[in-house]
Amino acid sequence: MRIKDIAMIGMMSALLFAVQVALGFLPNIELVSLLIILFTLNFRWKTLYIIYIFALLEGFMYGFGIWWFYYLYIWTILFFITLFFSKNRSSFFWAVVSGVFGICFGALCAISYLFLGGLQTAIGYWVSGIPFDIAHGIGNFVIALVLFRPLNNLLDFIINRTFHSNSN
Amino acid sequence: MDQKKKLLKRVIAAVILVVVVAAMVIVYLQYGPQATKGKKEVVVEVVVPREKTTDFTLHTNAEFLRQALEEKNLIKGADSSAGFYITTVNGREADSKKQEWWCITESGAQVNYGVDQIAIKDGDHYEITLKTGY
Repeated sequence: MRIKDIAMIGMMSALLFAVQVALGFLPNIELVSLLIILFTLNFRWKTLYIIYIFALLEGFMYGFGIWWFYYLYIWTILFFITLFFSKNRSSFFWAVVSGVFGICFGALCAISYLFLGGLQTAIGYWVSGIPFDIAHGIGNFVIALVLFRPLNNLLDFIINRTFHSNSN
Repeated sequence: MDQKKKLLKRVIAAVILVVVVAAMVIVYLQYGPQATKGKKEVVVEVVVPREKTTDFTLHTNAEFLRQALEEKNLIKGADSSAGFYITTVNGREADSKKQEWWCITESGAQVNYGVDQIAIKDGDHYEITLKTGY
């Protein structure tokens, strides 16, 4: 791994964390999903470093509670979904993927409650969060639809300047 | 022809999404917290380990526990992305530096909802216990 890669991973991890904290007061409105999609499309496997640095920072910020366990796998699931469809560059497509991910977020989190409290706890957790999941899905869809193209172009520009520039 | 195919795919995706969201709404209405209207008497026990336990009998028309507790100024807290988060009960603030937090149970059993989603019924008994450690 080059020094530029390490610096880029550090910066993108910090960006992801800062964005999450800044928008944390808005229930289920977040840029994290879109940024992870964009990072995966542009940085591919290096995105896993970003995801786990982000998870660690979140743990330090909010405490290593039950929620931290599902943070260890939930963003990685999005990473692999993105990698699978990585040839696609349509804003609408990624808005749908991000929206569906938001709708399924509660169900994915409930998996950890299955092991911690049993099936009833997991189902109770999922059902009680359905209104939040719907808001999350709608928020993710709109945000990705509006911001996918401009942010992808910006990332392209940054990557070209950083890694492919012929200037000194 | 390509444009038509693209449009068709988008319409199908939208229809599937609407169906999934509608199904989730139905599940929530069927199995989610079921509020009941009318006057209720609810007992709330505030437990602070190694200190006193205080009982409060609430007479309320509120449908959810949060409203019933706030009517009597029993709780303070903050809204978060995970719902309302209780920080103070009966004047006793949980000290986050000591990893203290307030836990709600119903007649000793685990509750699967946050305080703003716990639908209360006449005769319910809740315990709010100060816990230490995340």
